[in-house]
Amino acid sequence: MLEVHALNTFYGKMQVLWDVSLQVREGEIVAIVGSNGAGKTTLLNSILGLVRPASGTVTFLGRRIDGLPSHAIAEQGLAIVPEGGRVFPEMTVRENLEIGAYLSRAWKSRKEMLERIYRLFPILKERERQLARTLSGGERQMLAIARALMSRPRLCLLDEPSYGLAPVLVMEIFRVMQSLREQGITILLVEQNVRRALEIADRAYVLENGHICMEGACAELLESDHIRRAYLGM
Amino acid sequence: MVTTIIEVVITGLLMGGLYALIAVGLSLQYGVARILNISHGEFIMLGGLTTWSLYTALGVNPLLSLAICGPLAFALGFVIHRTLFKRLLDTAASPGVFESNSMLAAFGLMFIIQNVALIAWGSEIRGYSYLTTPVHFLGTLFGANRLLTFGMALLIGLVFYLFLNLTRTGKAIRAAAQDPTTAGLMGVNINHMLALCFGLGAAMAGVGGVLISMCYPVHGVMGLEYTVIAIIVVVLGGLGSIPGSFMGGFILGLVGSIVTFLEPGLALVAYYVIFILLLLIRPTGLLGR
Ligand SMILES: Nc1ncnc2c1ncn2[C@@H]1O[C@H](COP(=O)(O)OP(=O)(O)O)[C@@H](O)[C@H]1O
Ligand SMILES: [Mg+2]
Repeated sequence: MLEVHALNTFYGKMQVLWDVSLQVREGEIVAIVGSNGAGKTTLLNSILGLVRPASGTVTFLGRRIDGLPSHAIAEQGLAIVPEGGRVFPEMTVRENLEIGAYLSRAWKSRKEMLERIYRLFPILKERERQLARTLSGGERQMLAIARALMSRPRLCLLDEPSYGLAPVLVMEIFRVMQSLREQGITILLVEQNVRRALEIADRAYVLENGHICMEGACAELLESDHIRRAYLGM
Repeated sequence: MVTTIIEVVITGLLMGGLYALIAVGLSLQYGVARILNISHGEFIMLGGLTTWSLYTALGVNPLLSLAICGPLAFALGFVIHRTLFKRLLDTAASPGVFESNSMLAAFGLMFIIQNVALIAWGSEIRGYSYLTTPVHFLGTLFGANRLLTFGMALLIGLVFYLFLNLTRTGKAIRAAAQDPTTAGLMGVNINHMLALCFGLGAAMAGVGGVLISMCYPVHGVMGLEYTVIAIIVVVLGGLGSIPGSFMGGFILGLVGSIVTFLEPGLALVAYYVIFILLLLIRPTGLLGR
């Protein structure tokens, strides 16, 4: 479904991604794990057209999307939950969700989608008329996920959705991700919380200093010595 | 005495409605498109002089001019953004660089539009009389044209407020103002929204010029004064807030009317004093946080 081939991305003269390749197949949950500064966000931004890779290709549903502006990429059926949520602070919860359904195909069915979202996230229904800036960190993350769903994406990218949240909320976020998969949405999840990510995902890529240094089924990665020592503290 | 006070206050409020309208336009251009449009007043001037020509040469009702000048100014603003400002945006290394470059470009635009207008209309002061029938109001007399322009300014402000809050495009504009990158990821075509906002701002200036010409004489170099007023009102009311712009407009209109009553000719000086005090005491505006 998504195919990233040999991406090299720079900020000025500093190279951040080195020959990064990965694949996401329909229906999968794929995780990209790595520590702070490894280049995870840069990888997502390269896929979304927010930074231009120096070389490499990104193919989504058989079409090249590298070089397209980000609104055109969104139109192909790709949604993002950005790092930190990035909800629109001066808009209400409901308006944030409506903007999620901005694309014309989603806009038509936004009312129906809104009801489904409110069933999945009852707290957002309660907060419907509040400005997003008044929400707690966990609620903002929920809103960002819900906003991404409003566009009825084929593939949803999540950039550290559980970062900075209390353990109960982390559980909640992962529960939601599980239910997304049940609705047929493919997920590419970026996480520093390696254990959780490997528990929920089918496959994972390990990003270290801009290089993919390991990849494989999560069950196998959980057994690997390197992962256990470097990321799981065992 | 009481009648005089009422008259001064109402004069101020009537003027304030117009100030608010042109400030909403400027606020949109700066708040979303990040262009401090020094040439804003030139669109007001174009609206005013075009209305004068249509009225005196062809007898076109100034109210009908609203429907002509609004779309024309929109188209002009949209095209200017698509050609000039879009290019500056693409080549600017950072948002800060774009802000200063675009302000300089708007400065240039001001001179170009002004000179074209001087060639087309000359430097004479142009006026016409329209609906000057006096209307009794709280024991004072006002021209019906004054009340009409005030009503139109309020109406346009309200319609625009509803547009921003209730429509799909309006919400996209607000999202783009708050976080353009994320709005783009939601599928909003940012370049399109920026041109749209610049065009809408120009349309509000054009329409403001039409309304101004119904009450006051217009001329080729009137623009800068209104640009300054719009900037002060935006700072008073806080950037990007329509209710704030109206509040700022009313305050400035009142101050202008009181000062003009006491010492005609000092209104602009009073505006500058307010502006400086505001920047010193509360640079985020009265309603800003
Ligand atoms: N906009 C930027 N300009 C310059 N360097 C950046 C920028 N964004 C990130 N970096 C650098 O790129 C590297 C990777 O960052 P990032 O992709 O944010 O990592 P992660 O998301 O894995 O924490 C870091 O060294 C970071 O300092
Ligand atoms: Mg990151």
